[in-house]
Amino acid sequence: MRELLFERVFYILFSFAGISLALSFLMGQLTYTEQAKLTLDFMLAGIQISMILFSVFMGISLFKHELTVGSVSMVLSKPISRVSFLLGKYFGQGAIQTLVILSMSLVTLAIASSQTADFSPLPIIQTVTLILLEILVLNAVTYFFAVNAGAITASVVTLCIFCIGHIKETLRQALGEHLERSLIWTFADGIIPDLEIFNTKALASYGITVRWVEIGWASLYALCFALFFLILASLCFNRKDILT
Amino acid sequence: MDAQPDVSLTSVSKNFYVGLFKKKTAVEDLTFSIAPGEVVGLVGPNGSGKSTTLKLILGFLRPSSGEILICGHEAQSRKARSFIGYLPENPRFQRFLTAKEILNYYGKLVGLSGVARKNRIAYLLELVGLDKASDERVRGFSKGMSQRLALAQALLSHPRLMIFDEPMSGLDPMGRVEIRRLLLQVHSEMKQSTIFFSTHLLSDAEQLCSSVMLLKKGRLTKWCPIGDLLGEDESHFEVTVQNLAPQHQQTYLNGIKTVAAPLGLSFEIEGVDLLIRKLSEIRKAGARVVHLASRRKTLEEALFEDELPGPKQAPLAAAGESQ
Repeated sequence: MRELLFERVFYILFSFAGISLALSFLMGQLTYTEQAKLTLDFMLAGIQISMILFSVFMGISLFKHELTVGSVSMVLSKPISRVSFLLGKYFGQGAIQTLVILSMSLVTLAIASSQTADFSPLPIIQTVTLILLEILVLNAVTYFFAVNAGAITASVVTLCIFCIGHIKETLRQALGEHLERSLIWTFADGIIPDLEIFNTKALASYGITVRWVEIGWASLYALCFALFFLILASLCFNRKDILT
Repeated sequence: MDAQPDVSLTSVSKNFYVGLFKKKTAVEDLTFSIAPGEVVGLVGPNGSGKSTTLKLILGFLRPSSGEILICGHEAQSRKARSFIGYLPENPRFQRFLTAKEILNYYGKLVGLSGVARKNRIAYLLELVGLDKASDERVRGFSKGMSQRLALAQALLSHPRLMIFDEPMSGLDPMGRVEIRRLLLQVHSEMKQSTIFFSTHLLSDAEQLCSSVMLLKKGRLTKWCPIGDLLGEDESHFEVTVQNLAPQHQQTYLNGIKTVAAPLGLSFEIEGVDLLIRKLSEIRKAGARVVHLASRRKTLEEALFEDELPGPKQAPLAAAGESQ
């Protein structure tokens, strides 16, 4: 965790997150109607985008950089397992991102409460919780590709999975039968998580809460996919030749 | 009595794949074992497989074939790494941490707890001469200081097997003297410890090692005690003379390789009897002996004598000579 706090990239991304919140607020104010709803929607989107970039770039920076530069060799020469090294990085990054999301959420809540008379924090809290779950899944995806590919490939693929994860249902509806007969789609459908289940920004902007059962299922879904990618990453990392 | 070797490699090979199909063999059919307490140097030209061999022993690489045991345990296992202290070639630390914090971090990784860790850190910082810099951030450390800190982290767990990859790499002469002194001190204090290190600097291997291994193109071509390579017999002499006329040079130094040196004409003679005879002859011929020293064969000569070009023959009319 402390390592993250001394990374320049962390402060760049943190600043980006702050700027995106500020811009989201301003853009909301520029709209003609529904200012509060749009402001909230933009701010929640700002949190999500910032955290996606954080996941990709900090994950790569923390993990891949160590493998490239060689500082991992002194750690792995000690009697610790490679899996614990990988998981330590993952949970440390997750902890920092939780704190960042928390701070951004507090700002969002403060602004939303000042703009709406009958403000209810619950939808925002639920949405932010689901964003955090989505981030934890994407972190696991990032680490899997960081173990097996170069930094750029890992970043690009993770971002692609983020995009595809949000438009799976749209793709399915648009391409219909053609897609369902495709082996590649069947495989991709199985391993790419459906990230839309974590997306309740639209509901939150209208003040609509989600049933806690659904959040429970989303949590389980996130846990399964995160575990899946972490296990794969661990298996690959255990067998990987450390060349530095 | 436990006679189990600290390091045992049996028919170990490592191949890397360049692209999809092209195979490159980094090390081939390595077989050796290192007994406890030995100091073994691994030497060889660039690309000979030294770093690959060390990384195989450390478990960073999986061998393509063969078996590697560290104190009787598979090299890939955590148990094997509990016996090892490793100093990499270019140690990299988290630059925002202090020396003490870094050793504290690694101390936790090796399982040292509380007071034992604190005492061990204090001792090691003093040993490597970083006690006064213990609260400075690593970003301000010189190369020599970083190397000493890396040595300290390698010694945290009282390792039975110390593996150093080019421990003197990138250091100035003073730094090399410092590290060499530390290594000798560590070895004398931890008598049962084994040191296995790779180096380009044959002079360092000559001074530190009890035995040396030579790798060439991934194969172990020589492996024997330093004494056997260099010979215990010191009847090998370097002589430099002045004022030896070319005709006398042909007469008295026929068959002996000579080199034109700044001080005069230099040559080497083996054996005291031959030395006495030749000196007597060339002095009678009017030459003056300006330098005489007994010289042991260097490790470079012992390892590469078949490959090094021979000394240039001195011109018959040696420059600068006067009667």
